[in-house]
Amino acid sequence: MKSFELKNKRSERIEQGITALLILASVISVLTTFGILFSILFEAIEFFQIRSFWYFMTGSEWSPGVADSKFGAVPIFAGTFWITAIAMAVAVPIGLGSAIYMSEYAGDKVRDVLKPLLEILAGIPTVVYGFFAALTIAPFVVKAADYFGMDASFNSALACGIVMGVMIIPVISSLSDDVIRAVPVSQSNASLALGMTKSETIKSIILLSAAPGIISAALLGLSKALGETMIVVMAAGLRANLTWNPLEDMTTVTVRIVDALVGDQAFDSPATLSAFALGLVLFIVTLALNIVSLTMIRRFKEKYRINTL
Amino acid sequence: MTMETKVNVTNLNLWYGDNHALHNIELDIYKNKITALIGPSGCGKSTFLRCLNRMNDLVSSCRVEGNVMIDNKNIYDKDVDEVAVRKRIGMVFQQPNPFPKSIYDNVAYAPLKHNIVKTGNDCDDLVEKSLIDAGLWGEVKDKLNTPGTALSGGQQQRLCIARTIAVKPDVILMDEPTSALDPISTEKIEALMLELKNQYSIITVTHNMQQAGRVADYTAFFHLGDLVEYDVTETMFLNPKQKKTEDYITGRYG
Amino acid sequence: MTEEAIRQDNISSMSEQQSLPQEASEQKKSAFNNNNGRSSDNNIDNPFYDPTLKARHAKAKRFKFFTIASLVFSIAFLSFFLVDILVKGLPAFKQAYIQVEVNYNEKTLESTRSAIDRKYRRVVSRSWYRSIPLQVEKNPALMNSSQKVWVLADDNVDQYLKGHYYKLKSKEVKLIEELKSSGDVELRFNTSFFTSGDSKIPENSGILSAMIGSILTLIVTMLVAFPIGVMTAVYLEEFAPDNRFTQIIEVNINNLAAIPSILFGLLGLAIFINLFGMPRSSPLVGGLTLALMTLPIIIVSSRAALRSIPDSIRQAGYGLGLTKIQVTKDHVIPLAFPGILTGSIIGLAQAMGETAPLIIVGMIAFIPDSPSSIFEAATVMPAQIFTWAGMPERAYIERTAAGIIVLLSILISLNALAIYLRKRFEIKW
Repeated sequence: MKSFELKNKRSERIEQGITALLILASVISVLTTFGILFSILFEAIEFFQIRSFWYFMTGSEWSPGVADSKFGAVPIFAGTFWITAIAMAVAVPIGLGSAIYMSEYAGDKVRDVLKPLLEILAGIPTVVYGFFAALTIAPFVVKAADYFGMDASFNSALACGIVMGVMIIPVISSLSDDVIRAVPVSQSNASLALGMTKSETIKSIILLSAAPGIISAALLGLSKALGETMIVVMAAGLRANLTWNPLEDMTTVTVRIVDALVGDQAFDSPATLSAFALGLVLFIVTLALNIVSLTMIRRFKEKYRINTL
Repeated sequence: MTMETKVNVTNLNLWYGDNHALHNIELDIYKNKITALIGPSGCGKSTFLRCLNRMNDLVSSCRVEGNVMIDNKNIYDKDVDEVAVRKRIGMVFQQPNPFPKSIYDNVAYAPLKHNIVKTGNDCDDLVEKSLIDAGLWGEVKDKLNTPGTALSGGQQQRLCIARTIAVKPDVILMDEPTSALDPISTEKIEALMLELKNQYSIITVTHNMQQAGRVADYTAFFHLGDLVEYDVTETMFLNPKQKKTEDYITGRYG
Repeated sequence: MTEEAIRQDNISSMSEQQSLPQEASEQKKSAFNNNNGRSSDNNIDNPFYDPTLKARHAKAKRFKFFTIASLVFSIAFLSFFLVDILVKGLPAFKQAYIQVEVNYNEKTLESTRSAIDRKYRRVVSRSWYRSIPLQVEKNPALMNSSQKVWVLADDNVDQYLKGHYYKLKSKEVKLIEELKSSGDVELRFNTSFFTSGDSKIPENSGILSAMIGSILTLIVTMLVAFPIGVMTAVYLEEFAPDNRFTQIIEVNINNLAAIPSILFGLLGLAIFINLFGMPRSSPLVGGLTLALMTLPIIIVSSRAALRSIPDSIRQAGYGLGLTKIQVTKDHVIPLAFPGILTGSIIGLAQAMGETAPLIIVGMIAFIPDSPSSIFEAATVMPAQIFTWAGMPERAYIERTAAGIIVLLSILISLNALAIYLRKRFEIKW
């Protein structure tokens, strides 16, 4: 009996040690989130000690290079908004349309081919999209605008937005497809039995039920668009340009962050620190979008009791 | 009493892929009567029911041959619009399946889309009448804007019946309408069926023979894809002509 | 091709039927004349003909068409894009060479430009001149001789031969044309693309140093992310009690997966480089940064793999008197390993394509020589692509596209490997 007890104590300690190790590993993901938050926050606070927060959020002149450098981020926010809006205008209809076709109209064999094909779009590195945007789509936009008698920059927001939109299509289509398939078939049966056409059934009943999931997919896509870097660094402009015209060049938050940090400026200069201020705004906005989106998906899963999402 | 045939089925065969599921069904459904379809699981009664409003068309592996004549027109003819068929022949399902809309919208959805009424007073009247006919009005008249899914099981099923009759069909198909409900709701719905038959022709699938006995004027007994016997309910239950029918009714198998 | 499949009748035959006008038939008129508000029967011969349905069916057709069009657009874009990359990039795999007479002697070793005839000097690659002393060193017999050698041509010659924009003077063009007709100019397989690192001389630049940089960086990434990720997954699936602490961890992982990649770069800059003082631009810093980004993928896929192991396996182990750790280590993890491996390969593929965070930690320096340790400055393949895309010389465009072809090929292979492994080792419980 004695050796039995002794053995228990030793193996118990090993067990505890291993469990502690596992917990430690798990904590690292929490540490990472806080690490990101604090490293950005810390430097951003330093920035706001030497430049006005109010002007940052509402001012419209961004000129880091001059002696009396001004950092009004409104044009940058506007450029980000515009390019993202164009991207969503491309991605949501096409992503949702593709998802509806795959889940409601396509046969199984067709679906098995199409779904992986769309996944390929998701796996292409963004630097490759950026190259395509800068070297093929942007010149095409210039030519097309010229054909209609308009002037387009080689760094047009339109080119960036279109390519970014294509990049986001799989985010929306994949999640929407899963969500639409999760709607019980009894709903569409009821609608069809009342003499509705298939498209009426889809529009009025299925999309209604799937709406939370689809909105959630759109929010995730939006978050991804806001944080996208390579496409805009390669194809968008550097100029903080406040304008409505999508054919002009604009810049985004991510472009300015990269620009501020790859130069040779001192790390403590306002220009460099401005990157962290922008990074803080980006972090907060994408975090908010992600939380809303993930909460909606969780509620949707609970409602239809699915494990596959 | 002359009986008018509402649905005349001849030579009906159905295949799921290679599986010959319904064999040469011949049947006359009479107007303003309740006809019950009974039989053991897998005998094809639900499949047959779904042939009557072409819901089987939704299954890609399904092939139907034969005639289902309603008002002297075979609904499987090439020039027949299945949407028009389903307008005339409604269906209530086993699991109540109200839409994620308000009670009012659940009932008004199809009539508005079919342009039977326009939004406004006409629509309100139609919703009210349908809910009254379905025996639900009293319980919901003060909460028409609340979600249909918030009702109890029995209420939801009556809501489904209300939205079906709102489209003013001739025939109502019911696929085991009470098997998911408690006994009190079942009783209510059976009483409802007896009232509704004055306006509609009702065909109901049930695996509960007692229910067939309670509500059905006529009963058809299916077995492994064949129509074994079809007769006035009382006659079939008391004096079945076929041995298979007798075995089923006396509980030899079920 | 897809549209053919669409038109097949494999699809649910719930295709919208247009109601056709009733053709003359011998059917007797329907006894149903009572039109008391029931569905309209304008054509009494066919009680199931309803003209109001025409508009609705047309709408349904248009809707279906719209969904097909969306899908076609996505696929078309993908195809167009791949074709464009191939068209732009494949030419890079060939490189122009010129056959010229080379004099190896004392004088030319010192001033290498005099080793060949004057008229050829500008059409030969600058980088080749530097290699003359090395050539003689390797092969002393060359000394004091005159050889006809195939020599790397200048990038403008290369671009001219490929029909692109070039910067050659007209007499140089004439010279090249002459050489072409005498067979002294040709396009050969571009081995230097795979054997050299980056260079300011386009014809000489290759992807080797970037590849080595990628390999080193990804080794660091997986060495860090794999154990931590799997351990986290094991903890969450097998050991964690259902309490607040566990929920916090799970919420965190979900959030981490959605944080923009550039912010990880900021973390790397502020903490790894500034706070910990790690060398900037090194695979160490890049690898650690990427590891944090790859954690969520590994955790989520490993959890799914662990979850798919039925409980009966664990119960059997406990029944034999094993401890939780023994059951997990000896039974559950080995069975879940294929799924874990698949998820890690996918995570690896994703990390390989990441650029933004690595730019922030400095990995876009000009790196001509391959790094030899994880502490030296390095670059990675996607960053090299990014750098080349910004270079002015025309010859870099095709190199950028060629780099993309190489990168995509590796990614496709990795994903194919993951899918193959999943199918091969998939056990249906």
